[in-house]
Amino acid sequence: MSRTVVSKRSYWPRWARRGLMENIATAIIAIGFLMLFQPFALSLYTYSFVTMLTGTVMFIIVSKFPE
Amino acid sequence: MLNRTADNAARATPEPLAKKIRGISDKGLAWLFISPTILLLLAINIFPLFWAIYLSFTNFRANRPNEVVKNLGLSNYQRILGDQDIWIAMQTTAHFVFWTILLQTVIGFTLAWLIDRKFRGHAFWTTIILVPMMLSPAVVGNFWRFLYEPQIGLFSYVISFVTGIPPTNVQMLSNVELAPWAIIIVDTWMWTPYVMLICLAGLRSIPEYIYEAAEVDRASNWRQFWSITLPMALPFIMLAVLFRGIENFKMFDMVNLLTGGGPGSTTEVASITLKRQAFESWRTGYSSAFAIILFVAVFGLANIYVKALNKVKQR
Amino acid sequence: MSLTTAHSVVAPSANSKRIAGVIIVAYALISIVPLLWIFATSFKTPPDSIAYPPKIVFQPSIEGYCNLFTTRTRQTPEYINSLGPATGFCDETVRKRNMVIAGPSNFLPRFVNSLIIAFGSTFCAVFLGTLSAYGFSRFKVPLADDLLFFILSTRFMPPIAVAIPIYLMYRELGLSDTALGMILLYTAVNVSLAVWLLKGFIDEIPREYEEAAMIDGYTRLQAFWRTVLPQATTGIAATAIFCLIFAWNEYAFAALLTSGTAQTAPPFIPTIIGEGGQDWPAVAAGTTIFLVPILVFTILLRKQLLRGITFGAVRK
Repeated sequence: MSRTVVSKRSYWPRWARRGLMENIATAIIAIGFLMLFQPFALSLYTYSFVTMLTGTVMFIIVSKFPE
Repeated sequence: MLNRTADNAARATPEPLAKKIRGISDKGLAWLFISPTILLLLAINIFPLFWAIYLSFTNFRANRPNEVVKNLGLSNYQRILGDQDIWIAMQTTAHFVFWTILLQTVIGFTLAWLIDRKFRGHAFWTTIILVPMMLSPAVVGNFWRFLYEPQIGLFSYVISFVTGIPPTNVQMLSNVELAPWAIIIVDTWMWTPYVMLICLAGLRSIPEYIYEAAEVDRASNWRQFWSITLPMALPFIMLAVLFRGIENFKMFDMVNLLTGGGPGSTTEVASITLKRQAFESWRTGYSSAFAIILFVAVFGLANIYVKALNKVKQR
Repeated sequence: MSLTTAHSVVAPSANSKRIAGVIIVAYALISIVPLLWIFATSFKTPPDSIAYPPKIVFQPSIEGYCNLFTTRTRQTPEYINSLGPATGFCDETVRKRNMVIAGPSNFLPRFVNSLIIAFGSTFCAVFLGTLSAYGFSRFKVPLADDLLFFILSTRFMPPIAVAIPIYLMYRELGLSDTALGMILLYTAVNVSLAVWLLKGFIDEIPREYEEAAMIDGYTRLQAFWRTVLPQATTGIAATAIFCLIFAWNEYAFAALLTSGTAQTAPPFIPTIIGEGGQDWPAVAAGTTIFLVPILVFTILLRKQLLRGITFGAVRK
């Protein structure tokens, strides 16, 4: 799904490009999964849901950012 | 600004044509075509989802619909996310997901890599290999119970014949150590073809000239595999891994029929726990919260999956 | 499978081809054994099916099929002798085991349910899917990407998680354990696949055909009907088969939301029991009957399989 918002490109900060932010969101979701699945600490499991939720919401938002 | 979007919509068909169209405008037609699908999904998927979100904050029990429903706030979520048993169910799921994906990817990629050699009759044998993945996991999974029966089951017989273990001792489904593997074996048998098929597409998408260039550079076969074949097929492998990951994370039918979560709770994956809470203990509010947690996890993966899908599409 | 690229310069040597062939054939043969075993077991007698060691050579019998379609009751030999001559092969086989046929089993109605629900939901999903796919393919729909993602994401929902509110909703609406309820549910699950797959197929049909038809005076709707639909037939057929297979195979929803009149075959087959446990030849017979249509469809579909399992993203 390629979204291009040409008019906004010039104002958009470089660090908030879609590709980079999507990768960060993906990493957060992945970390959430590791926390959900790991057998070491109950507290990590407890916070896995919040992590995954954050990652998913972030993914949805940043996928609207320009490339 | 608004005018411009409307203009763009009209430009989907060339302008002289747009004038010729009688009856419904393109925009109207587009919505007429798309809205039934959206409405159906809203009614059958999204409305229930919001209902489940509402229920997840309550102590509602579906078998006692007349009882007063109390609002519990976030306490259902707190209980699930602090529950030792559900944490263990997650680890059972993780064990299942990890091993099935590892086995399916390794075997599936190897098979694809071999089939890509295009020996005589490869199309026929590929079709044969693909058959298991089209079948019903429930109906075929159920039959595997027979293959796993000690002594009389074909699988157990072959195992005891090959290894020399007494046939009554090969108890795939009732042994605590073996039961998780019994499920992993069936899942791998069934879904390795899926991974294979996608990997095969990945291997075939690699343009030949890259290999030719590598040949000119005298890169060894080993080198070609690691620096051309594997990296170029990687987006496809990822696609297969993500899809199988999502599917196996929510695996229900095969596990339910093979072991039903047993023996004890050694194979109780997340879906089985959810089913027990929702449809046996009838803790509807509690299980709704659990369902939402699983849903968020799956939805997160689905986002990544669609990203992988688009990456492959561009090839 | 398409054979587009042949690595001419870097073609695999004859030897490596031979080794690859041997391994693949071996894998294919091993992986097909459980299916052959189902087929073989369906023609065994119950004692043969539980023999140790498992019997590879046996006297074929259709007792499994007889048991699949009937319910039986045990009777004394005197009572059976007092009956008239057996009316058919099944009658005769059953009497040898000191039983008489009491009536038809539930298999046939469950099988018919599977047919009704699978075909009904497939028709609805493909109908809605074709319209939506055309809409997404040819018009500029605002937020098209988001809508498409939304449509696809509904397919990933864990069935058990969806089943909880659906169960409550259907109870309120009186749809629980009805074919209509199951058709609606399977349509909703399948429509996502249908939209994505068909969008891929319709994208491949050149727009020029419709535009030419519209220059000839057809409206957009007529152009869709006269030019796009006929060209999309292969795609529609392939999509329909995919939807059919899904609805046919589905177990989780069926097991949780149907119990009697609308129950489909997958939750029913595991419950077939004989005297003293599972009646494996009857289960195998039911499984065989259940699997044969899928085998036929798989062979028909083999060129489109890749598309189907990647939601239309990977074409070759």
